[in-house]
Amino acid sequence: MAGKPDVLVIGAGLAGLTAAWQALTMGKRVRLIAKGWGMTHWHAGCIDVMGEGVDDDGGISDSAGHAMAGTAAVQPDHPYAILGRPKLNEAIDSFAQLCRAYEYPLVGNAGKNWMLPSAVGAARPTYLAPETMIAGDLTDQRPMLIVGLSQLNDFYPGLMADNLNAQGIPAAAVTVDLASLREVRHLNPVMVANRFHSLTFLDEIADAIRPHLNGAERVGLPAVLGFEQPIRVKLELEQRLGCQLFEIPTLPPSVPGIRLHRILVQEIRRLGGVVQEGFEVVAAEISGSRVLRVFSEAGARQKSHAADVFVLATGGILGGGMVAAQTGDIKETIFGLPLSGVKAQQDWLSHEYFDPQGHAVFKTGIRVNRDFRPIDETGSQFAENLIVVGTTLAHCDPLRERSMEGIAVATGFWGGRQAASNESS
Amino acid sequence: MRTIQTEVLIVGGGATGTGVARDCAMRGFKTVLVESRDLAHGTTGRYHGLLHSGGRYVVKDPKAAAECIEENRILRRIMPHCLEDTGGFFVVTPYDDPEFVPKFLEGCRHAEVPVETVPIAEMLRQEPLLNKEISHCFRVPDGSADSFMATELNAESSRQYGASILNYHHVMNLIRRGDQVVGALCHDLVQDEQVAIYADLTVNAAGAWAGKIAATADILVKLLPGKGTMVAISHRAVNTVINRCKMPSDGDIIVPIHTVSVLGTTDVQVTDPDHFAIEPWEVQLMLDEADKLIPGASEMRILRAWAGVRPLFQETVTTDSRDVTRAYALLDHAPRDGVDGVITITGGKWTTYRMMAEATTDKVCQKLDSPRPCRTHLESLPGAERGYHHLGARLKRLEEERSYGQLVCECELVTIEDVHHSISEGNARTVDDIRRDVRLGMGPCQGGFCTYRAVGILHEVKKLENSASNAALRDFLRERWKGLRPILWGRQLKQARLDELIFLNLLNVEQLPGPPATRLQPTMYDEPSTTGGSAAPSEREEAGK
Repeated sequence: MAGKPDVLVIGAGLAGLTAAWQALTMGKRVRLIAKGWGMTHWHAGCIDVMGEGVDDDGGISDSAGHAMAGTAAVQPDHPYAILGRPKLNEAIDSFAQLCRAYEYPLVGNAGKNWMLPSAVGAARPTYLAPETMIAGDLTDQRPMLIVGLSQLNDFYPGLMADNLNAQGIPAAAVTVDLASLREVRHLNPVMVANRFHSLTFLDEIADAIRPHLNGAERVGLPAVLGFEQPIRVKLELEQRLGCQLFEIPTLPPSVPGIRLHRILVQEIRRLGGVVQEGFEVVAAEISGSRVLRVFSEAGARQKSHAADVFVLATGGILGGGMVAAQTGDIKETIFGLPLSGVKAQQDWLSHEYFDPQGHAVFKTGIRVNRDFRPIDETGSQFAENLIVVGTTLAHCDPLRERSMEGIAVATGFWGGRQAASNESS
Repeated sequence: MRTIQTEVLIVGGGATGTGVARDCAMRGFKTVLVESRDLAHGTTGRYHGLLHSGGRYVVKDPKAAAECIEENRILRRIMPHCLEDTGGFFVVTPYDDPEFVPKFLEGCRHAEVPVETVPIAEMLRQEPLLNKEISHCFRVPDGSADSFMATELNAESSRQYGASILNYHHVMNLIRRGDQVVGALCHDLVQDEQVAIYADLTVNAAGAWAGKIAATADILVKLLPGKGTMVAISHRAVNTVINRCKMPSDGDIIVPIHTVSVLGTTDVQVTDPDHFAIEPWEVQLMLDEADKLIPGASEMRILRAWAGVRPLFQETVTTDSRDVTRAYALLDHAPRDGVDGVITITGGKWTTYRMMAEATTDKVCQKLDSPRPCRTHLESLPGAERGYHHLGARLKRLEEERSYGQLVCECELVTIEDVHHSISEGNARTVDDIRRDVRLGMGPCQGGFCTYRAVGILHEVKKLENSASNAALRDFLRERWKGLRPILWGRQLKQARLDELIFLNLLNVEQLPGPPATRLQPTMYDEPSTTGGSAAPSEREEAGK
C-alpha cells in the first residue's frame, strides 16, 4: 500500500491487530505499525473475559456474562460497561469465527468459564479456549497423564500432577527424554512447536509417551503442538495414543498466543492491510482538534506517518504505552493523553504481593467516551480522529480481573469499526 | 526431645558465626553452629559487598583502617574466588571539601593503606561514566566480595573439619543453670520440633540479634541496630569501587559486584533488628548521591532495594572487663555479668570477620583451658585455586562446559546443575536459599522466569509435598516483592507487571492448595511509615561497616 492510509493503528497486541482487521473489513486502507509484537506472545492464548464476579444475586459467579454485568454495576467506567454486553458478545463471537475460519476453533463452555489447569496445576478460569486445551477441563474427573520433556526447562509435570491430585483430579506425571532433542541448546516452547511439522517427531513423542499411559484417559502436554495445524497434530497424537490430548499454557513465549497473532496478521494482509514492526512511535503532531501525523524512531531515523484516523493500542505499563516515572508522574508516551485513576506514588503498590485488590498503579489508564475517543476529567475530547483501545484503558485491571483478552478483542473490534466510520455517536 | 552434646555451640550463621565455626573446628573443637534461618540470611547477606582497603576509615578510625588492610591481604590469599579485584577510587567531587585530601593521604600512610594518585584523564578512561568535574582521584586496593559464597564456604570448610552446621534452627533461649549457660534450646523449623543443644561453651555470634539472644539468659548486651538501605543498578555502571573522598556518610559509595552496581548506604538507628522498613527518602538519598558520582545514575534501571542492620554495640558495664577494639566487641560474660559458659562477639565489619573469629576462638581456647594455634589465615577456603572471580567467569564456564542449553536463570547464568548442587550439597530448602547459593533470581527479571523452574526442580529433587512446593513458590514471590516495591517505576515496573502476568494470571499460583506462607518464609520489611520515614538523615556515626 502506497500513500497515506485511512487508518493508522499503533501497536501489534491483540487489541491493535483486532482493530486493524475490523477497519479493513469496512473497506478502509489500514497500516499497523508497532515497536514489536505485543501481548499475544506472553498470554495463555485463551480468551479470558472475566475471572469471576458478583452475579445478580450478589454471589460469586463463574459465568463471564454475569461477571461482566456485575462489573458494569460496580465500575461504570469499565471498558465493558462502556461497550455493553451485546457488543462484547458480538466482538468475541466474530473473533472466534475468524479463528474457526483459520481451522483453529476457540471453544466456549455454554456461556460459563472453563476451569483449565495452569502449568503448576492451579485451576485457571477462561471463557474461550482453543480446542487443543479443552480436554484438560478440571470439572471432569477422568484420570490424566501430564507429560514433560527432559530438555524443556519451562515445564514441571511432577509438581503439576501432585497439585491436581491434591484437588481431586487423578493425575500421573512423566518426563520423556526424546533422542531428537538431546543435542538442542536452550530449548523453549517455540522450538519444540516448530518440530511438530515433522511426522517423525510426532511418532517419536507418541512412542515415548505410550508406555506410561497406565489407564490415563487424557494426556496433558505443554502448549507446543505446532503453529500451522495444531488441531491436526492433536488428532494424530490422539490416534497414536488412543486417548484425548490437551495443551497446557507455559511460560512465555506462548505458542497458542503466537497462533492467534499469526491468524490476525494473515487476515490483515489478506484484506490488503500492512503490518510493520520496528517502528516505535514517540511523538505526534496535532493541529486544533486533529492529529495530523505521528513520528516513529528506529535506527536513529525519524519517520513521519500521516493518516485520517489514528488508533492507539500500545498497551498499559506492560505494553509500554504508559511510563511511570520515579517522580510519580505517569505519562502516555505518544500523545501525552490525560490519564484517569492516577494515584499518589506511595499508593501505587500494595505491601502484599498477592493483594486481591491488585496494585493501583496498574489501573491507571486512559478514559474514553462511547466512541473510544480519549477524554479528560471534564469529559472533553482530546482529538476528533484519535481512538484508544485495549489494556491501556482506565478503570480495569485486566490481569487480575482475567479480562485481558476480552477487553483487547472487544475494544479493538469496536474501536477499529469506529475508526473506519469515524463518526460521533 | 532431641538433644545434642558438643564442646562449642555457636549461635548465628553469618560471616562471624561461620568464621568462628571454621576456626573452632580447625583447632579441633567439637563444634555445632545454629542459625535461625539460612546462612547469611541476616546482615551478612544484606551488605553492599565491599572488601575494605581501609581507605574509608583512615581519618576517622585509623585502628580499624589498619585492621582492614591487614585482613584485606589475608582474604585475597585465602578466598580470592569470593572476591573481585576491582580496585577502588577515592574521588573528590565538587560537593566535597578538597581540604580532606591531605588528611586522607596522611591517614593512608599512617595506616599503611597503599594509595596512588590517578590523573583525572586516566580515571575517566577507566571509568568513563564518572563525573567529569571530579578534581582528585586516588587508587586503593578495595574490592568486592560475595558474602553469600564466603559464608557458605566457611560452613563447608567447618563441616570438613567435623563441625555440624544447622540452619533453620531458631534459638528460643539459652539454657541457664544458676550462673552457668549450658547450651541453647532450639526450634528446628524444618522438622517443627525442639532440640536441646548442650555445650561446654556457647558463643553468641548473632550480630545485631546478640542482645536478644543474651537477654534469654538475663544478660544485658545493648545493641543499637543501625539500618542501612542499599539500591542495586541493573548493570555495572562502574567496574571499580567508587568512594567519595570525605568523612564516611550516607550514600557515598558504589560497589560493582557480579552483574550489578550497589549504591550504599544509609544509617538509621532502629529499636528492633526484626522490624524495620525501607523508607522512600533513603532510596531517594542513594539516587541523589549516586548522581554526584555518576551523573544520570538515578535514571538507570534500578533492580531492587534492600536493608540490613549493623550490630552497633554500646557498652553498659563500666568495669574494664571486656576484650574489645573500637571495631568489634568480644564480651566474656563471666567477669562482666557473673555468668559463665557464654561469650558474645558482635560489631565489626565483613572484611574483618576472620580476625574477629580468631580473637573469639582464642578466647574459646582460654575459656576451655586448651590453647591451640589459629590457622585460618594460612589455609585457603575450598576452591581458592580458581583465583579471583571476574564478571565473565560464569559465561566462560558455560562456554567451556557447553551447558548453555541448561540455564534456569538467564539473568545470572545459573544452570540446572548449579541448582541441583545447591539443593543436594548446599541443603537448600527454599528458593531463597538457592538464591543465596547461586544468585538465582537476582538479575533484571527478579525471578520472573526462574522461580517457577527452581520450584519445579526443588519439588523433584527434594520430593516435597505439593503444599510445601506451593508455599516455597509463594514465599519467594513475596520475598522478591519486598525489595522491588520500594523501587518500582520505569522499566522495572513494566518487568514487575510481566512477572505478575506469569504468576498471577498464567500460573495462577494464589489458587494453589496449601498454606499461603510457611515457617521458612524469609523475614519481611515493615511498611514505610506514612509520615515519610523515620528521622531525617543525620550525620552518621560509622561504627558498623
